[in-house]
Amino acid sequence: MYDKILVAVDGSAGADKALAAAVTLAESFGAELYSIAVEGHLPAYAATLGEVDEAKAEKDAYFEEIDRAARAYAAARGVELRTVKVVGDPAERIIRHAEQGGFDLLVLGHKGHSRARRFLLGSTSDKVVDHAPCSTLIVK
Amino acid sequence: MSSLQVAVAIAAIALLASIISVELSLSVAIVEIVLGVVAANLFHLHSVPWLDFVAAFGSIVLTFLAGAEVDVGLLRAELRGSLLVGGVSFAAPFCGALLYAYFVAGWSFHAAEICGIALSTTSLAVVYAVLVETGLNQRRIGKLIMSATFVTDFGTAGALSILFIKPNLWFVAFVAVSVLMIWLFPKASPWFFRRYGERVIEPEIKLVFFLLFCLMLLGKLSLGQAVLPAFVLGLAASRLYESHRLEQQRLRVVAFAFLTPAFFIKGGMNVSLAALGANLGLLGVLFAIKQSTKIAGIFPLARGYVGGDALYLTLLMSTGLTFGTISSQYGYQAGIIDKAQFSLLITVVIASAVIPTFIAQRWFQPGPEPDERQRQKSPAPRPAVSEPTASGPTVSGPTEREGA
Repeated sequence: MYDKILVAVDGSAGADKALAAAVTLAESFGAELYSIAVEGHLPAYAATLGEVDEAKAEKDAYFEEIDRAARAYAAARGVELRTVKVVGDPAERIIRHAEQGGFDLLVLGHKGHSRARRFLLGSTSDKVVDHAPCSTLIVK
Repeated sequence: MSSLQVAVAIAAIALLASIISVELSLSVAIVEIVLGVVAANLFHLHSVPWLDFVAAFGSIVLTFLAGAEVDVGLLRAELRGSLLVGGVSFAAPFCGALLYAYFVAGWSFHAAEICGIALSTTSLAVVYAVLVETGLNQRRIGKLIMSATFVTDFGTAGALSILFIKPNLWFVAFVAVSVLMIWLFPKASPWFFRRYGERVIEPEIKLVFFLLFCLMLLGKLSLGQAVLPAFVLGLAASRLYESHRLEQQRLRVVAFAFLTPAFFIKGGMNVSLAALGANLGLLGVLFAIKQSTKIAGIFPLARGYVGGDALYLTLLMSTGLTFGTISSQYGYQAGIIDKAQFSLLITVVIASAVIPTFIAQRWFQPGPEPDERQRQKSPAPRPAVSEPTASGPTVSGPTEREGA
């Protein structure tokens, strides 16, 4: 049913659950499994390049570790996970990557935002569900 | 307030600004300026001499760092386009803002010059963050924007140093020492770094501070400005720092921990909200002049280089922050502009960091390159997946990176 699955990882508890579900689905369907880690925004309106470079280096190191752990987890269950790291708005980059990569299932974790934040900003999963080019599974 | 009380207040503001900056993914500089405005206007925090001095040194260190961040190779690769776009990006708003401030707003000629300089800037750091996030730093448009920004920065630093020269005997010494320093530093510093570097006592940073203080002293004695020599000294050091990244990082740590907070908070403290409120019309006009002159100057040139993405390039070249703040601070400290003029300029500078960036990102972001568009139209190739081995699962290679 699903041949190519993309899971979003960010080190949160919700994303860990999404990874576990995605690995299970990849095992069941014999699907290819990919992960995307969106590093989020760099400091906006920075005063020096150094501020941007160092924020980027910190995020790179953090997400490198997230990717390493995700690959190890999938490998322990006999599934190969291919990882990709991008920078920018999480919802926008996940949707764009899903479009470009021809995925047929997107798996995301649910984050328990406050009602106020959800009302004001919406959540990444809301935005992805609205605009994803393929089926989307939100794991709670 | 006593010096110590001011120190406590500044340290608290700097700490709070860092926390807000991290939580909101916003530049610490802008938060520091805003908190400085709040502290001065709502809580009546006033500067003291030590803060003025540290802020002045912070501005020179920032200028040095900006010079050291110039990618000389990139500038050479895009030299013609950079000189044209970057040169016009400086000259058009400089002339437009100067003429308006002098002939229409009735500012003194020197105040109008400060207005021209402050509004001529393009913020390399603002532009860089946007380009890295979108991956455009790897494409021609991104490289052209960055290299053109170096040229605009150079124009700003040059104008700030040259336009306010009042030649005296010390000026000869200032020029001679600056030239000697800029020539000698890249030659002698590799030896110095090898012989004395990599120690916790940081002789490398002390050397840079010594040179910058010398430039400040000679600048003061010659009634000039150390901005241009500090920028060019940074430029001369950029090659050295390419092979000593850790040292550059340590210099930034010192600057960001103490010097630049003093500079940006002090900048905010000099802003009068009452003066801003009384000059809202002029504020809008100055902002419009900066944007319209940048667009009028850059857009026609940019079309020749990046075609349909010319407006995006133009909007990013219309941003400003650090050099605009430095120019305005210099004008205010030197008594060239008054508090109301300073408040207007700094507000326009901050608005120009935020508004053009937002518009460019929201409505004019370049699409994929032609070959990428082609890839998107055709079905995505399925990457080969290695089979799990008998001995256990396979693990994929290093993480791929997109857009950075």
